Order: sequence, then structure tokens, then C-alpha cells
Amino acid sequence: MSSTESTPTVLGRVRNVVSAIFRDVPKALAVTVLAFLTWLEGWLLNSKKATYGVAVARIGLSIAALGILASNFSTRLYTWGAGGAWSGDVANPRADFPHIWFLSAFQLVRESPVAFTILYLFVGVLAVLVLVGYRVRIVMPIFLILWISLVELQTMIGDQGDNMFRIAFIALLFTDAGKRWSFDARRRARRETRGSLFVRAWRGSRILPKWSTNLSHNLAVIALACQICMVYVSGALFKSGGLPWQNGYAIYAPLHTQRFGTWPELSTLFTTWGPLVAALSVGSVLFQVIFAGALLNKWTRRMVLLAMLSFHAGIGLLMGLPWFSLTMVAVDAIFIRDTTWAGLVQWVKTKSRERRLIEDSVDIPQRREAAPEPVEEPEPQLVP
Amino acid sequence: MTSTQTRLRDVKRPRVVRIVTLLCTLVTVWHIFATFLWISPPTQIRTLVPGNLLTSYMIPFFGQSWSVFAPEPINGDLILKVRAEVEKDGKLSTTDWVDATAVELAMSHHNLFPPRAANLGTQQAMEYKNSFDALTPAQQRVAGLGYYKGTDWEKRLSTSITNLAATPAAKTYLEKERHTLAYATQVARAVWGKDVVHVQFQASRQNVIPFAERNNPEAKKPALQIVNTGWRGTYEYPQQDEGAFADVFLPALKDVTGK
Repeated sequence: MSSTESTPTVLGRVRNVVSAIFRDVPKALAVTVLAFLTWLEGWLLNSKKATYGVAVARIGLSIAALGILASNFSTRLYTWGAGGAWSGDVANPRADFPHIWFLSAFQLVRESPVAFTILYLFVGVLAVLVLVGYRVRIVMPIFLILWISLVELQTMIGDQGDNMFRIAFIALLFTDAGKRWSFDARRRARRETRGSLFVRAWRGSRILPKWSTNLSHNLAVIALACQICMVYVSGALFKSGGLPWQNGYAIYAPLHTQRFGTWPELSTLFTTWGPLVAALSVGSVLFQVIFAGALLNKWTRRMVLLAMLSFHAGIGLLMGLPWFSLTMVAVDAIFIRDTTWAGLVQWVKTKSRERRLIEDSVDIPQRREAAPEPVEEPEPQLVP
Repeated sequence: MTSTQTRLRDVKRPRVVRIVTLLCTLVTVWHIFATFLWISPPTQIRTLVPGNLLTSYMIPFFGQSWSVFAPEPINGDLILKVRAEVEKDGKLSTTDWVDATAVELAMSHHNLFPPRAANLGTQQAMEYKNSFDALTPAQQRVAGLGYYKGTDWEKRLSTSITNLAATPAAKTYLEKERHTLAYATQVARAVWGKDVVHVQFQASRQNVIPFAERNNPEAKKPALQIVNTGWRGTYEYPQQDEGAFADVFLPALKDVTGK
């Protein structure tokens, strides 16, 4: 009896719920989307994100460039100049870049050892300027143009580090790469210059409204972050299809080739004990595949970034690819939050002051914690 | 609910700011999407991008490939040896083989910061061997014959190979052979001087000791896979700077042989 009475009530309830779903869920969705857009707009326009990470990427990439220039200096003509004309690349370069007029500077001077060497040294000077952050807005594009013009002369012995370098550096051009740890930052802190466009560009003063440079900086950081994630994850997926990776011995063979086993004793050391070989082989695939997801949480982010640092330290040392490794590590720096870098700076400052005071054997005055370098926003998490 | 809705309206931003933000964001989204398609193995998602747009956007500036050491990492050495016939006092004599790849690779061994020059010969040997392996057996036999007499030997070689099969593989082979020969000519001139009249190069591959055998002191490397190329006349590009080649190759050779 009671059940027949309650049936219409249950149906009525269900109907109520269903109509509520159709009424409220779209609204809730709209509100969520709107809230997300509001947050995203603020994130993009209000302040620059990963400013220290971008500076570390700038510094790391310029050190890698200087490293490549230095380690190839004595063989530069053999590799890129007329000593290597046997590859047919002097007559007709295989790569696309030397055929593009603004990237053809080195191609034009390739047959003249003197002009080639002068331009080579000039690129080194520009790399130093990028390193110290001297007028980067003007120097960085010129450096990149000449850099591509040089390394793409001989694609036979290039590596993926060259591609990562170029792509990351293009992204850096859209960022405020001189905002931290640079001469530009010091100059900007001293005074804001007015004057013609050229004067302001030269002195690193503001040309465009703040929101637009924030936007450009943050979008470039996002593009670079996605690029890095895709590189690691796809690298892992490509590897996972191969038996040597599945069976955990993939690092063995390359380390015992002449080309990638530059320290044969170390190769033997790292590949004698099977479980270590397997741990390194499988571990590198696993850490690469979880890279993007692991960035979302503080602890897994630290873990995966440390793992990639060790992974690249291993590649750089054992496989004779130090500049490839440095390039990859340098761009990974954007995933370390500004507050972490600022904390590190503060720690170094405090320690160095303590040391100085002790060395001067002055009575240590009441130590005041210096205010940390300003970090513009309390939510500088890179990955939304 | 309403508070969030009003928040977006409350944030006063000029319309131009919002339009520029939207456009720049869309460009970035496109860039990331294009990079995703480019880095991943090709799927049907690529058909969403019309025509040649993806390639023309990505190449050359965003060109990249991350299947490095995948699915199987390299497991062998490429070797390029060179010898020559030298004419002295009207007499021809054949030199010993010089392992040019070993000479170059010595520059990177026990070196924290190896120069890229160390891999040139290795890479050339690999490209040459791959192009040779793509030939038909009949073409491979022709490549093993000597072509050096007279001044038209290169033309005769090219005709013999393409007459058997005028394929893209044949064209690639002839190109790689010319580069390898030009390299071998530089090696020969650096080592044996101006009297070199003919050169021969030999590309080969030797795999490393298999993983399972690595701790067995009796284990030997698998057999050499040798590509036999016949004798050739010398070949030099007009842009070639012999001195710049010898300046690097000879000191490295001295390091290896002690001579």
C-alpha cells in the first residue's frame, strides 16, 4: 500500500533532480569556465612568471654556446669551414638555414679562415653578453641569428641539443630574459629612461605597456614548458617500443660504442652489474614518461627534476655530450618556482654576509634578515 | 556564482587588451598544437591541419625529432679505413690502411668536452654504408669494382650503377660515395702527400659484444660487416682547404699511432 503511494513521489523527486541537472549544471559549468578565464587572464597579464628560471635558461644556454665554441675552436675549420668542404656542404649546404639570407653569414665567410674565425670569436663575445645579461633585447636576437648560421653549417654532426637550443632560445626572445641576474636588471633598477625608441631599447627601458610584455613573457614560458614536456614524454614513448628498453639493457650498447663511450672505463663500471643497467635504462624511460604529470605537485616535481638533472649529468659525462645535457638542464630550470630561486638567493646572501662579518672579525651586529628580493605575485606556480 | 561572474566584469581591462590577449593566446595554442603533432608519430589528427601547413610552419625553425636512441639505441661502431696508391719515381705502390674514424674518435676519448670533429668520419661511414645497403646486389657488385682510369671514371661508374636501376637509392648512393671519396682523398693527401694518385676506402660496421656476454672475458665482438668499394681516382671539391683538414687530422693521427 505504502509503496504505491510513494511511487509518484519518487518519480517526482527524480524529475526534480533531472530538471535541476539541466538547469544548474550548465550554469555551474559556465561559472567554472568564467572563473578559469578570469584566473587565466590575471595569470597572463598581471605579472611575469618564472623570471628566475628564464634567467637561468638564458645563462645556461649561453654557457652551452660558449662551451661548444671553445671545445670546437681548434677544429672549427675542419668541422665547419673549408677543411670540411669534402661533405659537399660548402658548395651546397644540406640544411635549410644557410639558404635563408639572414642566417647565411657563416656560409658567406666559410671559405675564408680569417673571416670565419673573426665571426666565430664575435659570436663568442655575444654569448658572453647574453650570459651577463648585457642589453639582451638587442644582443639576444643578433646572437641567435649568428648562432643558427654557425651550427647549422654542418648538420652531419649536430644533435637534438641544437634543435632544443634554437627552439628554447626563440621562446626566450619573447620573454623578459634580462629581468633577473643581469646588467640590464641593475641598470633598470637604477633609473627608468625616457627618450626615443632606440634610446629606450638600448637602455632596456619600457617601450610597450606592461600588460603586453607580461603576456608575451608568460605565453613564451607556457610554450617552452609544453615543448619540454612533449620532448620528454614522447622520448619515453618512442623508447618504450624497443626491446632493449623493455628488457632493461638499453644503456649498455651505446656506452660501448666508440662514439658514445668516451670514457670506456666508466662505461664498464656502469654496465657490469646487471641490476644497475636495468635500473638506469628503465628508470630513464619511467621518469621521462611521468615528467609532465609529476610537475603538478611540489614533491614529485622536485623528484622528477632531480632525476632529469642526474639523467643529463650521466649523458653529459658518460656519452661525451656535455653541451646537449647543459642545454636540456638549462631549460628545465623554468620549472623551479621564483620563490624557490629567490629563497636560494637570500640564503646565499645571508651566508656570504655571515662569512664576511666573521672574516672581518667585527662584532656581529644584530643580524637583520634582509627583505627577500621582490617576487611579484604570491602564486608563481608555472603549471596551471 | 554571481560574484565570479561579476569578477570578470569588475576587472576593468580595455577591450583592445582582451582582444590582443585572445589573439596571442590563440597563436600560442596553435604553436603548441603544431609542436605536439610534429613531435608525436603521425596520426589522423594531422589531417585536421590543411595541406602543407604543419610542415611549412615547423620547418626549419621548429624542426626536431625526439626518437633518439629509440626504439633501439645504436649498438655498433662504424669504421672508415682509407688507403692509397702513391706514385714515386714512376712507380706505383699501395699504402697500408689508415683507420680514419679511429683517428678522429681519439679526439673525444677521455675528453670531457669532445669536439664535433671527432664524429665526422663515423657519421660519413654510416651514411655511406646505409646508402650502399639500399642498392641492389648487382649495383653493390659494381660499386666494388675499380673506377679510376682516365678522366671519365666518375661518369662511367655513375652510368654503370644507374643503368642497372635508376632509383632514388642509386642517386643517393652516388652522392654519398662522392662525399666519402672526397673525405678519403683528404685523409690520403694529409697522410701520404701530393703523390697520391688513387684511393680506396672501406666502410664497415662492428657491433658491440652482446649484453649477455659483457662480463665474459672470452667474448669477442661480432664479425665485421664490410662494404667493399673499389679503387677510385681522387676527388676534391674546389672549395676544399687541404691545410685546414691536415692541421687537425695529422696531430690526431700522431696521437693514435705515435708517429
